[in-house]
Amino acid sequence: MARPVQSHVQPLVRVEQLEKSFGNVRALDRVSFEVEAGEWIAIMGPSGSGKTTLINILGGLDHPTGGRVVVDGQEIGNLGERELTRYRADKIGFVFQQFHLVPYLTALENVMLAQYFHSITDEKEASEALARVGLSDRLNHVPSELSGGEQQRVAIARALINQPKVLLADEPTGNLDEANEAVVLKLLHELHHAGHTILVVTHSQAIGNLADRRVELEHGRLARISVPSLAKE
Amino acid sequence: MFLRILWKLLGASRGRLAVALIALTSGAAVCSALLNVNLDAERKLTQEFRTLGANVVIAPMTSGGSSEAALEDAHVLDRIAALNLPRIIATAPYLYVAANSGSQPVILAGTWFDQVARMNSWWKLEGGWVTSRDDQDHCLVGFTAARQLGLVPGSSVQLRSGDRNVSLTVAGIVTTGGAEDNQILTNLDSAQSLAGLPGSLSLVQLSVSGTPREIEGVTHTLAENLPGLDVRPVRQIAAAEGTILKRIQGLLFWTIALILILSMLGVLASMAALAMERRRDVGLMKALGGTVPRIMRLFLAEAGTLGALGGLLGFLVGVLLARWMGERIFGVAISPRLEVLPITIALSIGVALAGASPLRLLGRVRPAEILRGE
Repeated sequence: MARPVQSHVQPLVRVEQLEKSFGNVRALDRVSFEVEAGEWIAIMGPSGSGKTTLINILGGLDHPTGGRVVVDGQEIGNLGERELTRYRADKIGFVFQQFHLVPYLTALENVMLAQYFHSITDEKEASEALARVGLSDRLNHVPSELSGGEQQRVAIARALINQPKVLLADEPTGNLDEANEAVVLKLLHELHHAGHTILVVTHSQAIGNLADRRVELEHGRLARISVPSLAKE
Repeated sequence: MFLRILWKLLGASRGRLAVALIALTSGAAVCSALLNVNLDAERKLTQEFRTLGANVVIAPMTSGGSSEAALEDAHVLDRIAALNLPRIIATAPYLYVAANSGSQPVILAGTWFDQVARMNSWWKLEGGWVTSRDDQDHCLVGFTAARQLGLVPGSSVQLRSGDRNVSLTVAGIVTTGGAEDNQILTNLDSAQSLAGLPGSLSLVQLSVSGTPREIEGVTHTLAENLPGLDVRPVRQIAAAEGTILKRIQGLLFWTIALILILSMLGVLASMAALAMERRRDVGLMKALGGTVPRIMRLFLAEAGTLGALGGLLGFLVGVLLARWMGERIFGVAISPRLEVLPITIALSIGVALAGASPLRLLGRVRPAEILRGE
């Protein structure tokens, strides 16, 4: 089911002794792990364990307090704001629990917005990306006219439009009903099969079981890295 | 895509943007009106000033102490007319004659009533005016002279100079606040006959329109073409006109500045609220890889578009306002000046961009905090 991981190649993501503090609160405490290209990693743990902080640092939305994060050969801990912005545009695709679509732009324009900040817009390419997530008939609808599942699929199309190195998803099915959750998971599954590297923050054991590996955090520390039984099979 | 997003931004916060647009349009309307008034005020005011008496006098040279010498050449009037200077509004020749009414000495001023009327419309008149330049039977009597001689409109007055006499009917009594209050004004030919000086003048008064500089120019031209005569502006009047114009223009300038500041404060309030609304969008745009300058360009373009629209609408409203102000202040509509349009739009864009300064704070938004919902 899962793609075999090539252990001899350079890891796409390397996290070494990563630390992040907010005042006196230590959100991440010496976390280390690696992700190979094409892997699907589930980042799990209870609330407040540092999952979102970890994914924000990997996505260049936050700066680490200590340690190193190397993505695609680029150490992001030392990047300035301008370089981090470029890093996000070039290498990262985000999918958020709250979808975070621009409310006054249509589905098509929301996808094109990511193209606009990356390089140049291509309406045909954006339409095709939406067609791939099953939204070819919703191109000109604004988010308020779309269901939660449809909004999340727009977000996924937007995240993938610039061919990012890593897709970061923070509780992507957290706001969806079962039917829409299934649609989104199927999409993530297909993306994984297509070779995308995916890191998903989730509370859901079901999603965790679909991943190649599970990185589990507790109180900001790495508790364990495990391989779900489905992945072993 | 830039224009596409810009268009959507303008439609997204219609309420707040409408408030900002009203502030911009109001400010631009007042500015446009005042700029139109300012550009036209000089012309209108100089026209008004021309009803306040002569501002250029042509008299014989005073060399040799013969300041009482009459202008020998009455054809000086023809020479002035031949110059065809459009800024000369009225030309009134005067011949002053020392006469007697009974035993009372009085100065008789012979002139052209139609021209005197054009340059002295503010004179107070009791009775009637002498409407024709050729009317040799009537006269106007200055207020003080009328009291001394006991004259009222309709009275007859016998004037004597040497062995010549003239009988005139008083058409009206004038109060001028000047030397004319002590004089009797009559037809120029009558005065020349009484004095026995046909074709002679004491001086010529001119009413010249324009700025002090333009009046100087006309004076210079006249002096060049009337050699041997003393052509001089009435400096107190020219200087007073210049001072009034400067003060009015200063008043308009500071009013415009104040209006623009008030307009900017209106925009500032709307934009501050808008900045709070836009934090989430900016956080998301940054997360998607949008650089601060690129995102800010969108919002500043939105403010600039609003400014341009406010400037255009303000100009149109301002034209109507200027027309109304012109009718109220000057009695005639002020014609719109096209050069005010780009100035109004530029000022309005500047005000909108200055008022949009709270949007610059969006550059400091941290996407992680926004996306966490803080």
